[in-house]
Amino acid sequence: MQEKEDCQCTGKEEIQESSIYLPEVATLLRKEKMTQFDSFFEFELKDRSLGHLPGQFAEISIPGIGEAPISISSPPSDVKTFEMVIRKVGSVTGAVHALEKGDSVGIRGPFGTSFPMDGLKGKNLLFITGGIGLVPARSAIKYALEHRKDYKNIWILFGCKDPDQRLFTKELAEWEKRADIDFYETVDRCDGCDWQGHVGVITTLLPKLEHIVDPFSTYAIVVGPPVMYKYVILGLRDMEFPDDHIIVSLERRMKCGVGKCGHCQMDNIYVCQDGPVFYYNDIKHLKEAI
Amino acid sequence: MDIVKISKDDFIAFIGKKLKDKNTKTIGVVRKGSHYVFDQLHSEKELCLDYDVTLLPPKKYFQPPRETLLKFAPFKADSYVAVNVCEPLTIVGVHYYDLAAIYLMDKAFSQDERDDHYIQKRKNSLLIGIYPTRHYKYRFARSVTRGQYRKVADLMLIHIGDNLVVEVLTEKGKKYLEGANTEENDYSMKEVEDAKNLVRDDQKLPVPIELVPEYLTQNHSHGVWEHFGEKCFSCGSCVLVCPTCYCFDVMDEVELSLEQGKRIRVWDGCLLEEFARVADGHNFRRTRSGRFRHRIFRKGKHLPLKYGCFGCVGCGRCADACTSGIAGPVKIFKYMEDHKS
Repeated sequence: MQEKEDCQCTGKEEIQESSIYLPEVATLLRKEKMTQFDSFFEFELKDRSLGHLPGQFAEISIPGIGEAPISISSPPSDVKTFEMVIRKVGSVTGAVHALEKGDSVGIRGPFGTSFPMDGLKGKNLLFITGGIGLVPARSAIKYALEHRKDYKNIWILFGCKDPDQRLFTKELAEWEKRADIDFYETVDRCDGCDWQGHVGVITTLLPKLEHIVDPFSTYAIVVGPPVMYKYVILGLRDMEFPDDHIIVSLERRMKCGVGKCGHCQMDNIYVCQDGPVFYYNDIKHLKEAI
Repeated sequence: MDIVKISKDDFIAFIGKKLKDKNTKTIGVVRKGSHYVFDQLHSEKELCLDYDVTLLPPKKYFQPPRETLLKFAPFKADSYVAVNVCEPLTIVGVHYYDLAAIYLMDKAFSQDERDDHYIQKRKNSLLIGIYPTRHYKYRFARSVTRGQYRKVADLMLIHIGDNLVVEVLTEKGKKYLEGANTEENDYSMKEVEDAKNLVRDDQKLPVPIELVPEYLTQNHSHGVWEHFGEKCFSCGSCVLVCPTCYCFDVMDEVELSLEQGKRIRVWDGCLLEEFARVADGHNFRRTRSGRFRHRIFRKGKHLPLKYGCFGCVGCGRCADACTSGIAGPVKIFKYMEDHKS
């Protein structure tokens, strides 16, 4: 006979006490449509606060549909609620969009690395966000605004494809008005739409900051679609930003969140554990990074 | 370490006795047509200790091709429970390279975050290894393993004439042997070592494994990836047969009654086109050459960096299984050596 530790070992299916894949229950408190495909969700965990840091993500589950990694868009907090903005792109996100207030989901996490908000104290912050890249960045932006005195100048750049894709429009309007930050916004195109603001890809906003932003006392936090990074980083380099002053958040297929399933691997990095937040300096030599 | 001797017939008869213990399932190498496979033994006569290679490694007993992780009632998030199927398992006749692969799998599933679905199955297993007695033309295990098998095997068998010399490597192994008709080993150390090394590999990796991580870094842009990548069908045969490929996909399934569902994990492979594709359709490894390179980099550089041991154990199954005849690491490294940039 051999050891029978922990499990029943009957050869039949038995309940296993612990599993890194077992979600906790969270309830949907609030849901608001933001764009045609993006909606805002506020969830509450049953027994604890999520305990996340800005830039981390969690796995959201609908039993019978599946699980998907989603960025957390609210800043860290002691309360049991947290926020996500979810784009309807697949079966899980589609099912989350169909939820009503009071419905429950499974949550695992938080996972991954975070924006180094403590280490950035006393520095200038330049947020460069594209499309739903604003979602993870918002957790850091809101954190910085909640701790405004800890940081020097704050510049926020946000760009999206067209005015209909704008997220957090009320907050964008507030940021626009705030005297203690500088907010710049652009849309890639605007064919006959009602938009008085800047038109052009996000990098067309960078010249506005030239001679204003001191790259040596400023850290750039860049979050956006894969195509955005190369151009933004080129722009930041033109502004003489050192590579270790550029912080990025990368997207990958983070299926398990715990560094096992292999899907999010780029070179020797597991994005779900070693990322999604990286200093550009640390990943620029990785061939598969961007 | 104890070392004893038992006649092959007595060992087979001993396994027959073990088969009567209904609390433990015994797996062994059995013949299947012109091939060999790991399968449950129903009679000791099925057990084959003299084989070249099995179609699949014994990995399937610890990470089944399809495994239920959770059960739930559809749309009821408070209904999730974790489940596992495990039972005492003895696997007889595992070659040392497949044991080396289990050593790596153990690290992968226990380091950082502990995966109990794997660990519980492993913990209840007893591994009886054997030094290969037959030649297999694709094998290059000696050049890429460094004795990791001794850290996972409970017993190691060495075939000498009509006898088996048994190295007893763990207490668990010693206990298992109780009641076996063993006797003192009277073979000399040289005879035992010669028997262990009876079968030489025809092939070897042309680069020492300690140098491979840096070698691959230097050869990231080598033409080999394009050269072989364009012949790759992305069929995934190489990763399907690999003893150290443990990547998986996770999905939900719901019964027709809509009352019960389960979250399952299934084997997945980085050579498959969809592997690195995210929800909006962007594929982070969309070229065949990129996927072809990733597999070799994962085995030769990424896993060694993460777990401290080489990610390929040289079993040669991928070289054999590959439709295009391009997957074998020896062939890939030889090409790089012959076409130095």
